[in-house]
Amino acid sequence: MVVYFLSLLIGVAFFQPLAGIFDRFDTKRLLWIANLRTESLTDVMLFVNLLASRWTIRVLRWGTIAALVGFRRWRHLVVFLGSILAAEIVAYQISILLGRSRPLGITIIAAWEGYSMPSRPLVGLAVSLVGIIYALVVPGRPREIAKWIVGGLILSLVFARLYLAVDHPTDAAFGAIMGIAIPLVAFRWYTPTDVFPVTYRGGKAAHLDVGGRRGEAIRRALQDQLGYEILQIKPVGLEGSGGSTPLRLRVAATENEPEQYLFAKLYAKSHVRADRWYKLGRSILYGALEDETPFQSVRRFVEYEDYTLRLLYDEGLPTPRPYGVVEITPEREYMIVMEFFDGAVEIGDAEIDDQGIDEGLQIVRKMWDEGLAHRDIKPANLMVRDGKVLVIDVFFVQVRPSPWRQAVDLANMMLVLAVKSDAKRVYEHALESFTEDDIAEAFAAARGVASPTQLRSMLKQDGRDLVGEFRSLAPERKQISIQRWSVRRVIRTAGVLLLALVALLVVVNNWTVFA
Amino acid sequence: MRRRGRLGAAIVSVGAAAVLVPACGGVYPQEPTCGAENANVLILTAQAVPSATLVPCIAEFPSGWSYDGSRIGSGSAQFFLNSDRAGFHALEVGLTESCDVSNAVEVTAGAGAVPGVRVYEEPISLPPTFQVNRYLRFEGGCVTNQFRFTTGASATLALEAQQALSFVSRSVLVEQAKEETGLSLCGAEAPPCPG
Repeated sequence: MVVYFLSLLIGVAFFQPLAGIFDRFDTKRLLWIANLRTESLTDVMLFVNLLASRWTIRVLRWGTIAALVGFRRWRHLVVFLGSILAAEIVAYQISILLGRSRPLGITIIAAWEGYSMPSRPLVGLAVSLVGIIYALVVPGRPREIAKWIVGGLILSLVFARLYLAVDHPTDAAFGAIMGIAIPLVAFRWYTPTDVFPVTYRGGKAAHLDVGGRRGEAIRRALQDQLGYEILQIKPVGLEGSGGSTPLRLRVAATENEPEQYLFAKLYAKSHVRADRWYKLGRSILYGALEDETPFQSVRRFVEYEDYTLRLLYDEGLPTPRPYGVVEITPEREYMIVMEFFDGAVEIGDAEIDDQGIDEGLQIVRKMWDEGLAHRDIKPANLMVRDGKVLVIDVFFVQVRPSPWRQAVDLANMMLVLAVKSDAKRVYEHALESFTEDDIAEAFAAARGVASPTQLRSMLKQDGRDLVGEFRSLAPERKQISIQRWSVRRVIRTAGVLLLALVALLVVVNNWTVFA
Repeated sequence: MRRRGRLGAAIVSVGAAAVLVPACGGVYPQEPTCGAENANVLILTAQAVPSATLVPCIAEFPSGWSYDGSRIGSGSAQFFLNSDRAGFHALEVGLTESCDVSNAVEVTAGAGAVPGVRVYEEPISLPPTFQVNRYLRFEGGCVTNQFRFTTGASATLALEAQQALSFVSRSVLVEQAKEETGLSLCGAEAPPCPG
């Protein structure tokens, strides 16, 4: 169909006699339909044609935008807007290129504007309705029903516009196909249902649905690859995790182990893409603070986390025991499996005594001694079980990090502990394992983005100026800038700005579409 | 929160732009040149006002004048001319089936007059801000030339602009459509169309 319309476009645009053939073909079909004209049927068709009115389309678009903003479905919103802009601009440009008049040889009995091919009202309605289906309607039966309804509406409008002779049959078909194809491809490409499902149950976009076929695949893969039979899959800790889908798996007893819980993190290509954008953003906003090289595949992603998990576990740090990596779909989805800290609670919900403070600080001391940095010390990654502090989520661990990075780990750990106690107490305990200079450097380095978002919001909620308190306790030290300038940063920033400019120019150049 | 606010504002702004995209609007860049081989824009203009026996077109541009797009839809068609001295959209030429000349006075068409065309003028404001509506009435249609000059622009520029404008007879376009497609350009000067 696409090839047909492309060849039609090229032929009509550059070979005038072909345009005449199509005009005659189209008019013949229109005359057939015009034979059906009666006064009452004309009234009905004029009413159906209101589907293509500017106000109908505006209401549909505004309604969808309001709903997507309300549900904070930003990705779907961007794709929805992008589809509309792309469809409108392409339709406008094609209409100029072809410059096809309204149907000749037949009386037109409805209002129209501009050239006829493609039918821009049909493009506008179809792109809006198909966008609504993919941005707002839940996949499954509701979406199937919505597709039939939208299909019916579009077909009704096509027929009405042919009956009224405002569009040629090829204009209407081309407009409808274009209006359907652009959002369809955009939504399937940028918001695949299995990765970004439309649901009204809450949760983050990064979290994959683990029911249905994926759930089955997880069960089969864990049994085949690690030898555990899954009894239950339950998403856990979703609010503290944005980069993966954390799961608690209840697995059946084996010959050597009793029935137990395992912790698993499910990764998909979308997580790799998100990591890539996150690193690009950081490298533009702050420069290369540390290694900002993105991962190239999901496999590499989980391989790295498995490595860091094993490394920390082997070094004797209180991290979960690694169980291995499970391949769910080759090169697309992998799951890393580890010990589940049953009975542990997040440090933010636990009571911390002196022993807890020492244990938290010892984790950092141990990592310093082994030449490691955790890089994501925050309440969600520190658990407490029976008074013992445990550390999880080791994906960001770096081997032989910079002294700056190690200093930031110390500051973040001290801040987490101080939120649960007070700065002076934590400072005194820290002096047992670190020097005053170490602590002074830690708080000179811990600025803004150096602390994870969750920790920063926790500090804000706490209300005390804990960073200031630590700085006043430690020897005075000039603050360390987190801005790093390099040729690469300049080139990347210029590249992104250039792309934004090109996008802006595309819109400005087509501003007549909006006028 | 502040970052989220900015993101939200940006998305809503783009959203507003997208929503403002009319499903059927737009200004078209093709020039309605008199005697052009590709007469698509003139045929479309003729379709907009089927009763009009004449269709306005651009004969030649005086120095300093340029074309700035057409807006064509059922019932009316306009095109815009810019001037380096009289300003942006200094002249808007519109074709409609009829026009109200109750506030205008009939004037002689002068040199280059087209037979069957009666000319009326309605001064809106005199120099330094020259603004005049000039109506050209003919069988089945009316062309309104709206001169809207920037302050200080000379009124004589209106004479220049008028040199740019002419008419093409609908019968010529009917013939051209017939030759190219074998179909009739419905309306005046053509046999009645079915439907």
